[in-house]
Amino acid sequence: MPNEDFIVGLEIGTSKVCAVVAEGRPDGTVKINGVGYAPSRGVRKGEIVDFETAGKCVREALADAEEKSDIMIGSVYLAVSGGHIESFNNRGLVNIPPEREEICEDDFEEVQAAAREVSIPPPNQFLHSVLQHYYVDGQDGVLNPIGMMGTALEADFHIIHGVGTRIKNSIRCVKELDIEVEDVVFGPLASAQVVLDMDQKNQGALVIDVGAGTTGYVVYADGAVKHSGCLAVGGDHITNDLSLGLRIPMARAEKLKTEEGSVRLGRSSPGERVVLKDETGFAGKEIEREMLNTIIHCRVRETFELVKKRLDESGASMDFLGAGVQLTGGSSTMVGIDELAQEIFGLPVHLTCVKGTMSGPTNAFDNPQYSCAIGVVKYAHAMTAGIRRPGLFRRIARRIPFFNNLL
Amino acid sequence: MIELPRSTPSNSELNIKVIGLGGAGANVADRLQLDGLDGAELIAMNTDTQSLVGSVASVKVQLGRDTTRGLGAGGDPELGYAAADESADEIKAALEGASMVFICAGLGGGTGSGAAPLIANFARQQRALVVAFVTMPFTFEGRRRMAQAEEALESLRQQADVIICFENDRMGDAVNPRAGIQDAFVAADQTIVSGVRAIAGILRRRGLIHAGLDEIATVLRTQNSRSLFGFGEADGDNRAHVAIERALRNPLMDRGRLLADVQSILVHVAGGPSMTLNEVTLLMEELNRHVSDSTRLLFSTAVDPQLGGKMCVAILGALGAFERLPESVPRPAKALPPPVMAPVPEREWIAVAPPPKLEECPKTEPDGAVAEPVAAVAPRVARVGRSGLQQKPTREQKQEQMTFEPVNRGRFEKSEPTIVDGQDLDVPAFMRMNVRVK
Ligand SMILES: Nc1nc2c(ncn2[C@@H]2O[C@H](COP(=O)(O)OP(=O)(O)OP(=O)(O)O)[C@@H](O)[C@H]2O)c(=O)[nH]1
Ligand SMILES: Nc1ncnc2c1ncn2[C@@H]1O[C@H](COP(=O)(O)OP(=O)(O)OP(=O)(O)O)[C@@H](O)[C@H]1O
Ligand SMILES: [Mg+2]
Ligand SMILES: [Mg+2]
Repeated sequence: MPNEDFIVGLEIGTSKVCAVVAEGRPDGTVKINGVGYAPSRGVRKGEIVDFETAGKCVREALADAEEKSDIMIGSVYLAVSGGHIESFNNRGLVNIPPEREEICEDDFEEVQAAAREVSIPPPNQFLHSVLQHYYVDGQDGVLNPIGMMGTALEADFHIIHGVGTRIKNSIRCVKELDIEVEDVVFGPLASAQVVLDMDQKNQGALVIDVGAGTTGYVVYADGAVKHSGCLAVGGDHITNDLSLGLRIPMARAEKLKTEEGSVRLGRSSPGERVVLKDETGFAGKEIEREMLNTIIHCRVRETFELVKKRLDESGASMDFLGAGVQLTGGSSTMVGIDELAQEIFGLPVHLTCVKGTMSGPTNAFDNPQYSCAIGVVKYAHAMTAGIRRPGLFRRIARRIPFFNNLL
Repeated sequence: MIELPRSTPSNSELNIKVIGLGGAGANVADRLQLDGLDGAELIAMNTDTQSLVGSVASVKVQLGRDTTRGLGAGGDPELGYAAADESADEIKAALEGASMVFICAGLGGGTGSGAAPLIANFARQQRALVVAFVTMPFTFEGRRRMAQAEEALESLRQQADVIICFENDRMGDAVNPRAGIQDAFVAADQTIVSGVRAIAGILRRRGLIHAGLDEIATVLRTQNSRSLFGFGEADGDNRAHVAIERALRNPLMDRGRLLADVQSILVHVAGGPSMTLNEVTLLMEELNRHVSDSTRLLFSTAVDPQLGGKMCVAILGALGAFERLPESVPRPAKALPPPVMAPVPEREWIAVAPPPKLEECPKTEPDGAVAEPVAAVAPRVARVGRSGLQQKPTREQKQEQMTFEPVNRGRFEKSEPTIVDGQDLDVPAFMRMNVRVK
């Protein structure tokens, strides 16, 4: 029997599928019982392109997670990602009828609906409306307006949307394995939940999850999500660039990248070479180290510059990000990536995995590739805390992201 | 496909022959034959009789009856060369009357590598325009094959007008050299087929045929420059957009940057009966954004019922073709002894009539099929004749061959291209930044 008390976070990443089984605790922390893993195939740029193959990998990762945690998985929370996912900020307003001066739950739903009254492209669907701030009668700094007296409730939301069919594709892949999908979470938003603690969210931070097929980013300021998005560019692109530039097969390029690659320029001695070791069928080849690093540098620089450009265009101010840039995701292990990020964003940069309020097998926390899947668990726990807890929030927690202010 | 009326006077001017040379070439020729390529003759040439027997090509030439005795060239280009030399008369007979010869071969083996430069030479002696579609071997095939292929390419450069070169290493996720190799070959074959088809398609359009085999030749004649090639095919609501995007996605197209430098390009748009003028206009507008004002654009369209709901576009062109060595400088021939190759006769290009305007185009082919250039963009710069080209000497004699990601886009094949701010991010960043990598 699937155990209802456990939360399973699943990321069908471009390079790996990761499933995290955890137990949510009433104090908001989660305890990880096991992390399942399988290399993924049939996924490109964060999206499934081959269902059958991807499905097998998901099954494998879930089986691994079941084995590690000794818990049977019946449902998951699923991370979704891809270049089609976009965001904007919008404010909703509801007038409180004069006969009832007190703000109630329904008003909250309405204000959220009002914020969503913006036209998004027809194929798109809303993924999240993350609450930023409330205003009651124009006054900000309101933490919980329910029960307050007022004539107008306003709320700012960070709205994330993406192409409906593409989001459903990922869901379908899981459902075909007879596993329920409880909810979907935008991957980078999930990563941010484990990379940042409450303090850092308040100070402000830019989280960048550099994966294999995507580079997702989330900006927090004043404890709220200010901007988010995803570029369909990642470590695979670095590998592909190397494969093309150095004329070596993808598998060799990948190995070369992770074992010898760096984004630092001008650090190798002139003419320094990397020898591609001979393996079955391959002739040995020598590659100039500076050339290797230059190809990587160009790609990583461009990717960060594009993120920077998007942030600048969104109007999200970079000046108040006291907690700096937090890099996570597998490609953040690239040597020298922090220095380059520092140069481009002009902020202190940290390489991070998982922080605080977590317990469980520590090796899972050390690996930035798992940030997203663990983040999904944390997100889900925050979102459903009200359901598990009796009382006022029981009914609303599911439908409205009231607990989004925990994010 | 629209039948080329075999008796028109232009026919002799437009005799297209496609040669599938060696084992790899034979596969390409078979694919072309099976898919149907009207108005062109397919010729299989090989040392290996077994491969010839299995081929569906309409004309077959066995190379080197005595030299190889019906066996292959065993990976030895010298043997391949000797075989072609032995069968010179037969090859010439097969090429007789061709105005355009496509040579398709996999370089690295014996037959393709050894015979291709010689066959190209024979074709040029007949004043045919020679376009070589070749593949370079996988790295895992070993240094020797690679070296042989490179040498053959070098020789071929001296003979062919256009070389379009595909690197097998880039044909797919050749993660495991043994698994998937067949798929990679099939992908290469398909890309070559689409290239041949595109050029042949352009040549078969009547309006343009009269206007200028000459013009086409000028565009394609890239002896001392790089060639560009891109092919895209799409269906669905957005097919015009997607098809051109795909065609532009070639790394050496550099998503338009290279197109901006291009002197002249050929564009061929084909679609099923549902293709609208609007779609063609949209596609051309999109392409025009990547092309500089001084670029000469040679454009044709065709309605091909076989394409069904699909639309496809092929782009072919030459970069920086003004650089050229004076003819008196001897060309270094590495693989082959120089005296063996007959000197290539100088071509005299006839004056060109401007491409036909829309109204002037015949609306219907004699056989009732629709084949009309929907629009033709008049040359925007004065045509540079061949003699004009010769006057600008340069040190660089080589024709840089182009390498491009095949229609099979390797790692990113099945995914949507990542286009941000008008740039195709799937194209290596260092290439778009113009960083030189040796
Ligand atoms: N595109 C494509 N390339 C192929 C195919 N088969 C082989 N190749 C490539 O072409 C190169 C030459 O192989 P072949 O065409 O078999 O050789 P050949 O020209 O017949 O020469 P011999 O067999 O030595 O007479 C190989 O090294 C491969 O890289 C194929 O089916 N399609
Ligand atoms: N030491 C290393 N140096 C550079 N890159 C590395 C290193 N180790 C892993 N990577 C890269 O990390 C990427 C995998 O990261 P991750 O697991 O976060 O991606 P993913 O979640 O599968 O992909 P996505 O989230 O984009 O769909 C691969 O591209 C891999 O090459
Ligand atoms: Mg990821
Ligand atoms: Mg052979």
